[in-house]
Amino acid sequence: MNEQNTVSKIKVEEEIKELVIARIEATMSPHLKLAIGGDKSLTKQEMIEDIKKGNEVGRLIIQSHLNFIKAQASGKLITALNSVK
Amino acid sequence: MTLPRSDDVTEYLAAFSKSIIDSCEQNLIRIKTLDKEKATKTNFEKTLDKLDFNMLIFNGHGSINSITGHRKEVIIQLGKNENILFGRITYARSCWFASGLATLSKTDQEGCFVGYNIPFRFLIDTRYATNPIKDNTAKIFFETSNLIPLGLIKGHSAKEADENSKKSMLKAINKALKNPTENSQAIAENLWNNYFGQVIVGNSDSKFI
Repeated sequence: MNEQNTVSKIKVEEEIKELVIARIEATMSPHLKLAIGGDKSLTKQEMIEDIKKGNEVGRLIIQSHLNFIKAQASGKLITALNSVK
Repeated sequence: MTLPRSDDVTEYLAAFSKSIIDSCEQNLIRIKTLDKEKATKTNFEKTLDKLDFNMLIFNGHGSINSITGHRKEVIIQLGKNENILFGRITYARSCWFASGLATLSKTDQEGCFVGYNIPFRFLIDTRYATNPIKDNTAKIFFETSNLIPLGLIKGHSAKEADENSKKSMLKAINKALKNPTENSQAIAENLWNNYFGQVIVGNSDSKFI
């Protein structure tokens, strides 16, 4: 059972990575770079590599996408946006 | 105000700080900038020894424990010299440091620190990398965050300046999502993260003037 859970968890993590990579591919033009704390900004390809490697920057990028998706799904984003209309 | 320029990220931070300098000059407020290699701990401390500035602005890399200057030289180190911030109003466009400062048992009753408990992030349009000020994508992130020091210069409290900055971020997100371009979603998402990571540590009623 534990082994099944571990396999399932790894599968979900991989699917989250794939989801975020797909979003980056779809929402960033090739001439855009992201500055996110380090001393160099990241191209789309570098962001995707960091996500695949699972390093700290990759985890930060995933986290920021999940924050936004959660805010959209929970209605938090629309509530905040309506507050400034 | 520190203005290190040792990589593409700090080049952008420095370029978009010009409007803060202009606003100080227009309002006859004395400002001392520590540019490029002058953005060091020694120069920072010497400057404060000469004149007891009551507002500090940092542009540079950061961590939970530090804010750095040119070539990542540490200027403020938690546990060593963060006391220098107390009693003043500080805005730091640096990553993480607000989360470290918030863990201190000592709280600033007179002044406050406005900064980020996550990495401050922005998008760069590489077609303008050699002339950042023309980069309209990056401009969205800096115009909204500049409202903190600009508000303080106008006499707003830290809380008011923070709220105005956050309102402008929400308006920019609204605009991006309602007028979709190829990068709208990325702009909205990264602004949303800055919106949530921007915090005040200390007395939020503090005013510069």
